[in-house]
Amino acid sequence: MSSMPPLDVVESSDPMATPRRVALVRPDMRPAVRMTDEPYVMTFPNLIIREIILFQIVVVGLAVAAMLFDAPLEGIANPLETPNPAKAPWYFLGLQELLHYFPPVVAGVLMPVLVVIALVVIPYARINLSAQELWKGAGAGRLAAVIGVASAIVLLFAAFGCWPIVVPTACVALAMLAARGGGDGGAIRTTLARVTLPEWIMLWFTIVAAILTIIGTFFRGPGWTFVWPWAAAAAG
Amino acid sequence: MPDDAASNHRDDPEQPERRDFLTRVGVGACAAAAVGSGLVTLDFLRPKVLFEPPTTFLAGDPGDYPEGTVRFNKERKAYVIGAPGGVYALSAVCTHLGCITRFLSDQSVIACPCHGSRFDLEGNVVQGPAPRPLPWLEVETNPQGLLVVDTGIVVPRGKVFRA
Amino acid sequence: MRALSTGPISRWLIDSSLYRSVVRHGVADTNRNRSLVVFENLFLHVHPVKVRQKTLRFTHTYWLGGVAFACALILIATGILLMFYYHPSVPQAYRDMKELSFVVDNGTFLRNMHRWAAHLMVLASFLHMLRVFFHRAYRPPRQFNWVIGVVLLIVTLLLSYTGYLLPWDQLAFWGVSVGTNMAKEAPLLGEKVRFLLLGGNIVSENALLRFYVLHCVVLPVALLLFLSVHIWRVRKDGGVQGPPDDTPGQEEVR
Repeated sequence: MSSMPPLDVVESSDPMATPRRVALVRPDMRPAVRMTDEPYVMTFPNLIIREIILFQIVVVGLAVAAMLFDAPLEGIANPLETPNPAKAPWYFLGLQELLHYFPPVVAGVLMPVLVVIALVVIPYARINLSAQELWKGAGAGRLAAVIGVASAIVLLFAAFGCWPIVVPTACVALAMLAARGGGDGGAIRTTLARVTLPEWIMLWFTIVAAILTIIGTFFRGPGWTFVWPWAAAAAG
Repeated sequence: MPDDAASNHRDDPEQPERRDFLTRVGVGACAAAAVGSGLVTLDFLRPKVLFEPPTTFLAGDPGDYPEGTVRFNKERKAYVIGAPGGVYALSAVCTHLGCITRFLSDQSVIACPCHGSRFDLEGNVVQGPAPRPLPWLEVETNPQGLLVVDTGIVVPRGKVFRA
Repeated sequence: MRALSTGPISRWLIDSSLYRSVVRHGVADTNRNRSLVVFENLFLHVHPVKVRQKTLRFTHTYWLGGVAFACALILIATGILLMFYYHPSVPQAYRDMKELSFVVDNGTFLRNMHRWAAHLMVLASFLHMLRVFFHRAYRPPRQFNWVIGVVLLIVTLLLSYTGYLLPWDQLAFWGVSVGTNMAKEAPLLGEKVRFLLLGGNIVSENALLRFYVLHCVVLPVALLLFLSVHIWRVRKDGGVQGPPDDTPGQEEVR
């Protein structure tokens, strides 16, 4: 609260003077919409028509997909016969891939719970509120921290043989380092330089989740062994 | 039209009819799509295959029905009755409220236990609250010469099947 | 909608007292009537009467929340239709899937719509979350709405998961077996939760019925409730927030 502007109090000895009530609004709690000069338009029809059009596009797109691609239906459920491989729905295949490297408590419970907690905490830990670029005004200390944390993650997951996490982590770390001093580089480097640390972390998480899911979906065959997708499709 | 500066409309001063025409075409297309979806939904909801018992049943040989024989098929709810020169079938479902009737052979009457309706052997209402006589059902023979009764097909009263 | 209301029949219809008893505003020719269209409609009046023009642009939010919502509506409609032919018992459920595929008119089409809309909804929800994150649209006062969004994402995943079992084919049965075995690993509560979820120790008729009730009643109601709060909070927080206006670093908030 040290940044609050000082209160201006108007003192008057006139008993008939209208008392001034000062409403104090903390800057971080003010509503997001201030009185602006921005142009406003009528909701109907401008917003409503866009909502209708979006709905129609989604319906038509899904209808085309529904006509072209059939939902799968395998044989009737047989509790005595496990198919090989037995795969969860695609949004859980990333987790199932993690199960290959870590015990079920970790991969199946601990990691998802940590992810959910991390997500929920984001606005309350005031993550990324000031949108500080990663390397702006940062010295050697930050460079050491980034390299240290990235190396720790790489070594930790490499110890478990979890290459789907090791490789993307290394790539993202390299991109972060490339962004350093990127103010005067090419177009890509300047864009990278604007990324903040929380955004790097979210990018890392998204890339890792996507790669784990892709591997679990396309690159895992019987016994959860590694297969090439075209080989699996030919055999299956 | 009042000039609404806050609106996003940009009327084409040359051809306001074009915007109106396109609006009408667009809304018409949406209406057609809605009607089409409704028809598709209705068609989807109509069952194409019924998993109900068949309406036909075999009733034996025509020679098994000398005049006055009354046989009751409980599963299909029908009486097969021998008449002079032929065979006919009556529905056993009471026309009052759908209870299953029973044939009382000592009184030669078909009686409904629910509300006391009584029918004669031609299905006419003799007594009770039944509003209509029992319908006559179709009797045919199959290629093997056996009688086939179809409880789903009602035939005119008095139409006796002559083998 | 001037284009639709200028014909003589339309005019007579719209001016009739029967119509006016249902639709209380006139033709949306004036800003007052355009306001009333939104203001007097139960479903539309979560919108403000006027919106900031900037928020209409596609690149403002990429309409991802709208895509997820559209998918939810499609899933509810197709799901209800599919329910007319589905018995949640073993082995009738599988036979019903075959009946939908081969006997019922448009059965395959509706089932496919349902499945692809489900995948799209999961994907759109995730992309919507990423969009909100990278636009930093969870900043005060929108923090709690972000939490509601995370809850909605979990409800969406659970809806997809419970629906996955219903066809009762090998894919469904073993997919759910693997998933519930993962849940079993949770310390303390894992076994108990799994027992409650499955209605037993194994994936069986009980599990199918429970997943059916969760999928068709409990989770959709939860989704609609949280969705209502989510959308209402967007309105109360001043509308959708797209790319942050200020340049980075200049909005120091303490």
